[in-house]
Amino acid sequence: MSSGSGTLTGTGRLFRFALRRDRLRLPVWIAVGTFMVVTQSVSSQALYDTAADLAAYRASVGSNAATIALAGPPVGLDTVAGAVAFEISATVMLIAALMAMFTVTRHTRADEEAGRTELLRSARVGRHAPLLAAVLLAALACVVLALTIGVATTASGLPAPGSFVLGASVAACGLVFTGVTAVAVQATGHTRGVYGLVGGLFAVAFVLRAIGDIEGNWVVWTSPVGWAQATHPFSDDAVAPLLLCLVVAAGLVVAGFALLDRRDLGSGLVQPRPGRPTARRGLLSPLGLAVRLHRGALIAWTAGLALLGVVYGALAESVETLIGENEQALAMFGNPDVDQLVDAYLGTTFAITALLASAYAVSAVLRARAEESGDRAEVLLATGTSRAAWLGSHVAVALAGSALAITASGLTTGLVRVAQTGEAAALGRMVGAAVSYVPAIWVVAGVAVALFGLLPRLATTVAWTAVGLFLLITMFAESFDWPGWVGDLSPINWIPTLPLEEWTLAPLVGLAAVAVALLAAGFGGFRRRDIALG
Amino acid sequence: MTTAISVSGLVKTFGATRALDGLDLEVATGEVHGFLGPNGSGKSTTIRVLLGLLRPDGGRSELLGGDPWRDAVALHRRLAYVPGDVTLWPSISGGEAIDLIGALRGGLDPRRRAELLERFDLDPRKKARTYSKGNRQKVALVAALASDAELLVLDEPTSGLDPLMEAVFQECIREVRAEGRTVLLSSHILAEAEALCDRVSIIRLGRTVQSGTLAELRHLTRMSMVVETERPADGVGALPGVHDLRHDDGRVSFDVDTDALDGVLRHLAGLGVRGLTSTPPTLEELFLRHYGDELAEDGVPVAQEAGRP
Repeated sequence: MSSGSGTLTGTGRLFRFALRRDRLRLPVWIAVGTFMVVTQSVSSQALYDTAADLAAYRASVGSNAATIALAGPPVGLDTVAGAVAFEISATVMLIAALMAMFTVTRHTRADEEAGRTELLRSARVGRHAPLLAAVLLAALACVVLALTIGVATTASGLPAPGSFVLGASVAACGLVFTGVTAVAVQATGHTRGVYGLVGGLFAVAFVLRAIGDIEGNWVVWTSPVGWAQATHPFSDDAVAPLLLCLVVAAGLVVAGFALLDRRDLGSGLVQPRPGRPTARRGLLSPLGLAVRLHRGALIAWTAGLALLGVVYGALAESVETLIGENEQALAMFGNPDVDQLVDAYLGTTFAITALLASAYAVSAVLRARAEESGDRAEVLLATGTSRAAWLGSHVAVALAGSALAITASGLTTGLVRVAQTGEAAALGRMVGAAVSYVPAIWVVAGVAVALFGLLPRLATTVAWTAVGLFLLITMFAESFDWPGWVGDLSPINWIPTLPLEEWTLAPLVGLAAVAVALLAAGFGGFRRRDIALG
Repeated sequence: MTTAISVSGLVKTFGATRALDGLDLEVATGEVHGFLGPNGSGKSTTIRVLLGLLRPDGGRSELLGGDPWRDAVALHRRLAYVPGDVTLWPSISGGEAIDLIGALRGGLDPRRRAELLERFDLDPRKKARTYSKGNRQKVALVAALASDAELLVLDEPTSGLDPLMEAVFQECIREVRAEGRTVLLSSHILAEAEALCDRVSIIRLGRTVQSGTLAELRHLTRMSMVVETERPADGVGALPGVHDLRHDDGRVSFDVDTDALDGVLRHLAGLGVRGLTSTPPTLEELFLRHYGDELAEDGVPVAQEAGRP
């Protein structure tokens, strides 16, 4: 492979080097994917341990369009194993596609963008070698993921053939997106563009297969995710769709090589769209710039939380049918009113969404830190922009943006509930429940602002650690019977679990006071300290 | 003569490092002042103190009659700054960045902006992620030069520019001086300061070592020459102002004091010059020559100091 002056010279070396660079990264991806399948297998086997439970499950999801849209074809639901494949395959296929996308991009376009490829290519490395090495690495990761899923799922108690077919289906999806990424990195000149392109194509593929699965028609065959799921693990164990995936993946990789020959090193086939020669009026203020810088992330988070709202809303009906009609389960929860059960479920989902919105708020505040340490704050702070106005612009986006994102999720959950129950009042209740978390989210954002002002060097690490702790406390304090004061450490827990509990003013006032104090500390600290150099 | 910048005894420490160690700097209104020193000598730190980005630990500093830390925002409206390493927002075009920086400072002259884009040959439609270092520097320069700021603070503004653009830059600075504006120009290239500056301050290790007009500092400069002549250039070593003469392979190389240049050239002309290269001294060489002994006494490892990039 390394002899002569062919365009593939050096592939072996580059492959081993890439393997070394990713020796931690890839095992994590593979472990996460495998862990998800095993967890699903164990919990499903515990949940549907009688034929009656399984029949109730089949009746419930077999006719639930929302569940089918998110999961896959409702096939093989007469066995627990089939139910496992139905529930988890789409998620793990997403993980495999992301793993493939990040791996291929990291060793091709990202290296090229940073100028590392130029250095390598000036040595005895053929034109096609970096792409082939990256594709081989991604393919290897997919194959290993297939094997670990096969072995671990068999070990969890499901039939071996189906376990390996499930693993192979996941890998096949990953391979197709290895090919898609191999083409995408030729098309666009920068890494973020590749992520946008491949992510967008996965979304299209997912929607097409969702339509096909709901309608039960040919549309599912327009989507690589549909092909990968057409193996129907544990029921049909069909292998032919995998061949289709392999052929398409190989075709895409070959196309990637052909396109590579048609472009210059460092540029993409699609020339970047030129920007505006002059700025719009809206950009010409610190806030205008902040909105522009945060826009992409804010739209993505808002759309993500809105989608999550749809999912949570859709699952509420399953909670009703699954648990409401299951006497054993009802007894387990202390025979509550079914409406109360649904409200408790929705309350939990909003707490989780609030944690995610807090994570967004923290990431938006820390953008200020990235601007500072990336030397982009300096040029603005040397103009007539005060420090307060500059920091305020980022904080304003963080506070308003996180409120917008969680409101969007309340809105979508509400709309789904209205469609399910026919009660218009559900919309207001859901939006209210979501909005009630805003003061708690702002306290978490305030923690990040205070850290930015007072401990800039540690801000990023400590702020994310805090988010992780709040997540742990909110999710587990109650179930593990931790002392009450531990639970109170997370501002999310100060909020009553709407819509189940009553709304009260006291926590709102308390949280608002804490948020104001944190913001004041952050702005005060920032006014007095040095601006970081480089 | 009024002063635009007045700094005395400025001290700034970062942990154990003493970046500024009693630095003095006087810049008169309307002059182009060269702020010279090797890399790492404290030029950027001084400028960042003057911009109120860093808080000094000691000493006195005054900028346009105000306190750089306390009156930062008000003072910034009257000055324009070009950082040494310009970083911009990857997804924002050069034109947008120019307008943004200009607007936050208090407005740009659109005609001047267009003219400068032309002169610097800068495409304002390109996103910053596609700009080279030189082009990012041009963005900051256009934003600064198209403003009507009374003081320009330029931190090594030509380090990414090619010689052609450096000439354009020098032209622009001469125009700025003709308008009576003040320029603080930091550089580690002596030739650039010689071409532009009325007065220079030379700093090293956070302290001012020399300050004055270039004529006053003329004794500091010494030219390196390599000459190839038809007849042996034996007599050159005996001429006044010639140092370190070396013969190799029919050529002679030596250093000559700038004020002795004329005599040396007259002497060489009689020998039939076939080839001649002359190199102005770098700031590092100059420091080594003039402060080497002093530094060695202080226990500073001289060779390493001068060899640092």
